[in-house]
Amino acid sequence: MHHLVGRLSALDPEASETLRIVSYFDVLITRGAGLDGLLRGAAVLSGTVAGAEVRGRVSRRDPDGHPVTAAGETRRSPEMSHGDWTVWLERDGEPGPHDAMIVERLALGVELIEGRRRPEGGFEVVIDPARPVAERVTHLARHRLDPATPVRILATAADTAETGAPSAIVPTRYGLLRATLDVFGKLDPPEPVGFGTWVRADRAPESWDAAIIALRLTDESVPAVDATELGAMLLLAQAYDPQHPHEDVRALAGLDARSAEVLRTLVEADSIRSAAVALGMHHSTVQARHEALTHTLGYDPRTNAGRMRYIAAALLQRLTAPAAPAPAGPA
Amino acid sequence: MLKYSRPPFDPEVEAALAALAEQIPAVTPGSIPALRRAPLPVLSDEALLAVGVTRRDVTVRSHQGAELVASVIARSGHTGAGPGIYHIHGGGMIAGERMTGVGQILPWIVEHDAVAVTVEYRLAPEFPDPYPVEDCYAGLVWTAEHAAELGIDPGKLLIAGASAGGGLAAGTALLARDRNGPGLIGQVLMCPMLDDRDRTVSSAQYENAGLWVRESNRTGWDALLGERRGTDRVSVYAAPARATDLTGLPPAFIDCGSAEVFRDEDVAYATALWHSGVQAELHVWPGGFHGFDMVAPESGIARAAIAARNGWVARTLGARLPDTGGRR
Repeated sequence: MHHLVGRLSALDPEASETLRIVSYFDVLITRGAGLDGLLRGAAVLSGTVAGAEVRGRVSRRDPDGHPVTAAGETRRSPEMSHGDWTVWLERDGEPGPHDAMIVERLALGVELIEGRRRPEGGFEVVIDPARPVAERVTHLARHRLDPATPVRILATAADTAETGAPSAIVPTRYGLLRATLDVFGKLDPPEPVGFGTWVRADRAPESWDAAIIALRLTDESVPAVDATELGAMLLLAQAYDPQHPHEDVRALAGLDARSAEVLRTLVEADSIRSAAVALGMHHSTVQARHEALTHTLGYDPRTNAGRMRYIAAALLQRLTAPAAPAPAGPA
Repeated sequence: MLKYSRPPFDPEVEAALAALAEQIPAVTPGSIPALRRAPLPVLSDEALLAVGVTRRDVTVRSHQGAELVASVIARSGHTGAGPGIYHIHGGGMIAGERMTGVGQILPWIVEHDAVAVTVEYRLAPEFPDPYPVEDCYAGLVWTAEHAAELGIDPGKLLIAGASAGGGLAAGTALLARDRNGPGLIGQVLMCPMLDDRDRTVSSAQYENAGLWVRESNRTGWDALLGERRGTDRVSVYAAPARATDLTGLPPAFIDCGSAEVFRDEDVAYATALWHSGVQAELHVWPGGFHGFDMVAPESGIARAAIAARNGWVARTLGARLPDTGGRR
């Protein structure tokens, strides 16, 4: 792996390498890898030994994934520590370009594992649908909240700063995200942000689920989305499994950029003629594209039912993981 | 369309896959040249030297008199007769070269003083079936015939391959059996590509997830078999999954991931070997995609997979075929 990452970093600009490290740990953490898996990941990405001391027990792994038991521990750099754990890379010479970020992500993963062990738990308990209501209510009381208090949860990127409101970084199907409790509707969160629906505090997990969807629907032009504004479409989005895209979604994903633009215009325009004007294309060309698209999609996007299908598919497409990869690799 | 649920990927190998996914699209007939140009990780001569191993090239005469290059890889100071490893590289029948995947057998060369031979068999679609498997068989015969000068004990000759190389290794072992060819002490079939019929549940489950997805697999088999793919005009040597009589084959080691297209055909082949009275060890590693042990060798399941495989090889090479003069 480190050979591969090394090769990729030679080809790619630094930014995408950084993204790769983030997504690497996102997968490990959201899929529930243990301490050993996190350490192996840190070691393989950094190309050096990664270590952790958790509740007095030291574990170290080398970039080949082997446990390191030899005493010759070199300098811990960088190192991060919190409560009852410490994590580090072992480097004598020059630090690697991504060392700090790797240790930061390793620390995040270890804290999430350790946080689950602590009897009191953190704010994440309040939005965890797997916890019994009684446990969530106990936690709400700690934040001086009655189970019936209206609240909503905000979703922002994991590395955004805390706003001062109760907050936690939690694994989701879209990677690690920060969840923040909003009681008064007066928070000023960093964008992009997804606002969950207002719910009774003891039903906060529902708001969190909606907030994740809302965040997913943000883009550069609309950096803040409120799940409430989705109306009944929220139900559709909640029922959708991004791992198994519907055929309508796949059909949209298969279109090239120009066809997608033509399709969007066809759906929105009053007539083929006005679509042709908007697109700067000849009327008969647009007509031909319309017929071809109807064939490709399996429905006519200019009928009422077709428009509905298109709008639903376009919404769900944005909830689908960007890389639904179909890679080849060594056979 | 029928929707299958499927075993998820192991978190560690999925993390590695996520870091790579964007650069490896499914293989289509049109993308075969690009696949061949993509540099697969190959051990350099320097990397071999670092573990005291050297490589030299030889010429092997094959099918219809063609000349093939093969590499002989051994410890630099190899003397006497040690175990032999006949290696067949992977690459979906359409790509790869003879040093592809040698990293997987390198520990056997180093630890057991084994001598490996790996042949540059000709690739589909330019050279469709039976060229690849006949080239592989010719290389095996050459290896057995030159055992003495190579420093190989003919009673300790193992055949090994990964993916397409695993399928070709199984086909070559069938040819060796049916032509009274060289005796083999074992066959190591790593995530082997065995079945052209594209009809297993695992093929449908990993239609577009993981490595070597269903479309890539169809591309490979189409290149090898053309219009014969999936018909009754495919030999057991090209697609060993079609063999109904596996009696008389050498003991097999088969491994694969639970999250790959080849899972069901690999499990079925192990079962068929047992049904025919052949010894086989089978490992299905939970959450492994195709080739996970090469992509993420540091992961927990890869380390377990590699240890299990190397352990089987050590036990097998510790034994010896009964002396029948090199041929059975």
